[in-house]
Amino acid sequence: MHSVGVDIGGTFTDLVGIRDGDIYIEKSSTVIDDPTRGVANCIDGVDVLLSDIDQFQHGTTIAINTVLERKGAVTALVATEGFRDVYAIGRSNRPEAFSLDFARPQPLISRDLSFEVTERVNARGDILIPLDEAATEALGRRLAELNVEAIAVCFLHAYANPAHEERAGEILRAACPGAFVTLSSDIVREYREYERTSTTALNAYVGPRVASYLDRLDTWLTEGQFIGGKQIMRSNGGTMSITQARRQPVTMMESGPVAGMIGAGHLARQLGYDQCIGFDMGGTTAKASMFRNGEPAVHEDYYIGGYASGQPMQIPVVDIIEIGSGGGSMAWCDAHGGLHVGPQSAGADPGPACYGKGGDRPVITDADLVLGRLNAGRFLSGRMQLDRSLSEQAIRNVVAEPLGLGVIDAALGIAKIADTAMSLAVRAVSVARGSDPRDCAMIAFGGAGPLHALSIARDISIPTVVIPLFPGNFSALGMLMAPWRQDLIQTFVAELSLVEEDAAAAVMAELRERGDRLLADEGLDPANASFAYAADLRYVGQEHAIPVPFGDAADLAKGGSPALKAAFDELHRYRYGHAAPEERIQVAKIRLTITVTGDGNAAMDWLSRPFEPADAQPDTVRDVWFEDADRPLSARIVWRPGLPAGTEIAGPAVVEEPNSTTLLLPGDVARVDEHGHLIVSVGVEQEG
Amino acid sequence: MAVHPITLEVVRNAFVAFSEEMATALCRSAHNMMIYEVRDFCCGLIDTDGNMISQNAGGLPIFLADLGVAVQDGIDRYGLDGFAPGDVIIMNHGGVCGQHLNNIVIYTPCFHEGELVAFAANRAHWVDVGGSRVGFGSYDSFEIFQEGIQLRSLKVFDKGVRNDAVWQIIHDNLRFPESSLGDLRAQIAACNIAERRLNELYRRYGTETIAACTAEIWKQSEAAARAVVAGIPDGVYEAESCLDNDGVVIDKPLVIKARVTVDGDSMTIDYTGTNPQVRSPLNSGSGGVAAARIAFKCLTLPDAPVNEGGFRPLTVISPEGTILNARPPAAIGLWSIALPTVIDVILKALAPALPHRIPAAHKGDMGGCSFYGYREDDGRRFLLMNIMGGGWGGRPAADGESAAMSICQGDVRNAPIEVQEMNYPFVIECHKLRTDSGGAGQYRGGLGVEIRYRCLQDTIANINFDRTVDAPWGLHGGHDGAVNEAVIHRIDGSEERVLKQTNIHLVAGDRVTFLTGGGGGYGDPKRRDRAELIRDLRTGLVSPEAARAEYGLEDLGSAAE
Repeated sequence: MHSVGVDIGGTFTDLVGIRDGDIYIEKSSTVIDDPTRGVANCIDGVDVLLSDIDQFQHGTTIAINTVLERKGAVTALVATEGFRDVYAIGRSNRPEAFSLDFARPQPLISRDLSFEVTERVNARGDILIPLDEAATEALGRRLAELNVEAIAVCFLHAYANPAHEERAGEILRAACPGAFVTLSSDIVREYREYERTSTTALNAYVGPRVASYLDRLDTWLTEGQFIGGKQIMRSNGGTMSITQARRQPVTMMESGPVAGMIGAGHLARQLGYDQCIGFDMGGTTAKASMFRNGEPAVHEDYYIGGYASGQPMQIPVVDIIEIGSGGGSMAWCDAHGGLHVGPQSAGADPGPACYGKGGDRPVITDADLVLGRLNAGRFLSGRMQLDRSLSEQAIRNVVAEPLGLGVIDAALGIAKIADTAMSLAVRAVSVARGSDPRDCAMIAFGGAGPLHALSIARDISIPTVVIPLFPGNFSALGMLMAPWRQDLIQTFVAELSLVEEDAAAAVMAELRERGDRLLADEGLDPANASFAYAADLRYVGQEHAIPVPFGDAADLAKGGSPALKAAFDELHRYRYGHAAPEERIQVAKIRLTITVTGDGNAAMDWLSRPFEPADAQPDTVRDVWFEDADRPLSARIVWRPGLPAGTEIAGPAVVEEPNSTTLLLPGDVARVDEHGHLIVSVGVEQEG
Repeated sequence: MAVHPITLEVVRNAFVAFSEEMATALCRSAHNMMIYEVRDFCCGLIDTDGNMISQNAGGLPIFLADLGVAVQDGIDRYGLDGFAPGDVIIMNHGGVCGQHLNNIVIYTPCFHEGELVAFAANRAHWVDVGGSRVGFGSYDSFEIFQEGIQLRSLKVFDKGVRNDAVWQIIHDNLRFPESSLGDLRAQIAACNIAERRLNELYRRYGTETIAACTAEIWKQSEAAARAVVAGIPDGVYEAESCLDNDGVVIDKPLVIKARVTVDGDSMTIDYTGTNPQVRSPLNSGSGGVAAARIAFKCLTLPDAPVNEGGFRPLTVISPEGTILNARPPAAIGLWSIALPTVIDVILKALAPALPHRIPAAHKGDMGGCSFYGYREDDGRRFLLMNIMGGGWGGRPAADGESAAMSICQGDVRNAPIEVQEMNYPFVIECHKLRTDSGGAGQYRGGLGVEIRYRCLQDTIANINFDRTVDAPWGLHGGHDGAVNEAVIHRIDGSEERVLKQTNIHLVAGDRVTFLTGGGGGYGDPKRRDRAELIRDLRTGLVSPEAARAEYGLEDLGSAAE
């Protein structure tokens, strides 16, 4: 078995391959104009033939960048008569409550390309006014004359009855050939017209550009005699075929951050942690996600570009919270004597001062270097030499002198402010999702994650931290563990006590039929698929519902089975801290999640095989500053790849490896487990 | 005592995080949607002098550093040595808090090594607190005793032991005691979390260091706010506007006056001349302070965390006996209705001094409507509530935003059409931007919206629109925006405009159209960038007639290309 995952990020294109149980990694610069060339450069770098690869998994930021840079297609909106402005009106909220300069979300479709056709369906799906087909056809011809490249069709209540959208789609495709047409009912079968319109518009807007990229990639693969499986990573934590990705590019928007969390979830399950926090700290931001039994939560209320002014996306996205601190976050002083870290980042260029690319603003990485926590000679496997004196200079000029501190004191301050800010954010994430950090393990990865994880864990009393194998490449590795996955969701609003078994069974059958059609389209055998139904339940009066797994329609009928109600109360108590078994329950949606894992998984096998260390390198000793600027501690410096299973390392120590560094504080004890992961028992905060 | 800058930043972040964690806890366990959906609450830490140490972000904007007065009343009553661990105090007294009685404050004292160091406090909107009508704000009320039960600085828990007498009195005076006492428990749980967090922080840094950090944080916030005020030219600036009426006497407008004095790095906002208090519940005790603080925060530190220091440069003079500082026992159920207009009046006063900061007026009301009745299909009671956005004023360098919530509502959201039709007996016939509703200007006002309901059965409507007469004003030559309007189209073909009105009976086939106001324009419309104007024409935000009449566009032919 030979699997390769390639993830295109803003700066680097990362590759992880697993061939017959051995791992290899590669990195090359992203080629913005022709991302396929960046992928090809990676493949060339590892000297692998495309024809030898069985499985090619791919993640890319092309869809989300198209939105953020607003470089999508010229797109038209077709809406129900009276409602083309739903997209511009949105929900009318102003999250930045005191800003006179606030900006509401900017639609991706201009109002002069927003059109209405006569038709009307009600919430039950009854047709109140038939579709005006002649007018629709005339509109299609007009759109062709306007050289529209993409069309988003979103009618009121199409989630309940998509007939009008489907017919309008046929007419528009015929009248405006060449345009990329998206029907809301093909993407989302849920109520809330603004969020559904926005999702449909996003899909149409990015569609042509993503399709041409995928075509180019597919051609390159074919020319290289590739005959294996091709999968594209999507935001729900699973994958899809290239064909489906061309139709539903909106589902690949947030695939990048998700991949690492999928890997962390698998590892949590493998290690037996039922409550676990995934923590991923890279160059620009840190990200955190909560898992219960290895499963991250998946939500359908995501905003591209942030909640305040971003574009809502009503499709399943793994629940990840972004925190504004990364290795490149800059330290700065305000005019009134306050020291702050972030949220601005120095990015890759100029990057930290120590890169020597002209950056004169100190960042977290500079502080880590000055404090002896990073090894100037071993950064990125020694491919990049860091200059400590540049870090010192930047810290002195920007922080130490204005505040009257020594350079080491200032560096300690930067690290401490960043760590406590991340601690507070991680605690908020876990508490908001129903877990006490004291009952959780943390899996830390990303280039900078292992360097800061132990301080954070100590601060909020997380007892155990796991640094997985290859933490710096863990996201690409996670991608290799993602199954093919499709979430099919259908609005079904009814009070639980009034649900009729036939009605629930009909929705389930419809979802299953859609699923079977999709599996057939993808060439997948339903026998290899697992089908999981859940009902999204809430107490009457609530807005947000919680998915509760169930088996068959009888579980929903006659007021719901006792097991279903108990499961809901328990999940509600976990997530919101209380349950109200006496209150009435309402069903909001029924969902079917289909996953296909295939025969074994090379990455999961690799993660769980016995660890074989590489050649050992001798330990060294280095001064590292922890608390006291005047008293650095003499820390043991070890080379991780050479550590055999069972090795124990007590802090203060620095564990170095090719793409990451783990900092152990005094009191921490790390043990290399049988699979090579570092399991750290976190030391306790000293009082006073 | 000098504070180490690193410790200062750690403590600053911690204070903010504790208030946010309280808010999370409250939302998680509250029982009514006014808390977890509308976010009608605030949480914060108060020092032993009643000053605000920190407050959560993201609640309703109208609660700005106003928990202190509630706590101070308890300090006055019990003395600082009259609090013990395990005490829980409840407070909603109209004369002290000045807000409608549904806003219940709960707070607990926090101790470190036996010494009282701070209070953890929050305020949340209960669905009902008794009184003559369900909920709040009936126009039938003319004194506060009709609006519910008043609880003034009472210990519901005394050293951890529940005061059963107080508990029973509360329980027996509410229409929905299970829900509200559930909210009460949630409020206490939120305070307890903040107590625990504060305790950890005090153990780590000690009383002296934290007191020094608190003082320094206030000092820095104050300095930042003063620096902004110092940039405003000294002077006395005045403005006024009118609310339509008090909902009882329909033909008498209510005057709002503000005189803003800027003197160096201090600002005084004086409401002398504002309408005397009225018989209806459109009064408040603290509305003047709340409005002044929102305006001040928008102008000085819109993105910074809320604490006492940021408001030190501000003095508010709100004479007793006006609608913004009504004498008990005035009814105050609709205490916040006037505030969007009051805030706009303050900004309008300062417009000549800050032409590059102040936008023209926004739609100026809260945009709420409700329909209720019994469903003809299953006989169940229904209550549809919706809140609509409107236009904001043109800005010194940008057009006003369209279809946005008022300055008092922040992150409140409208109800989706599909949700309304799914749950209630109505067909909604349109939801669109009102062409030409944005005041003309070099920078155009934002547009209001139009939404039309068709009743499928008998129903009763309450309409709470204000500012249907005094239009959102333009600035520096910009034109006024369109006013708010509500129109009933009867099935018999008759039409009537409605102002604030309750108990409007409607039958199947009747339609109600709501038109929300647009923002005022900023600057002379003739100076509007022609490319922008042509874009407005192309997108239909401005009609050809208005382009000619208001913007003076001569050559429509080429513009239409």
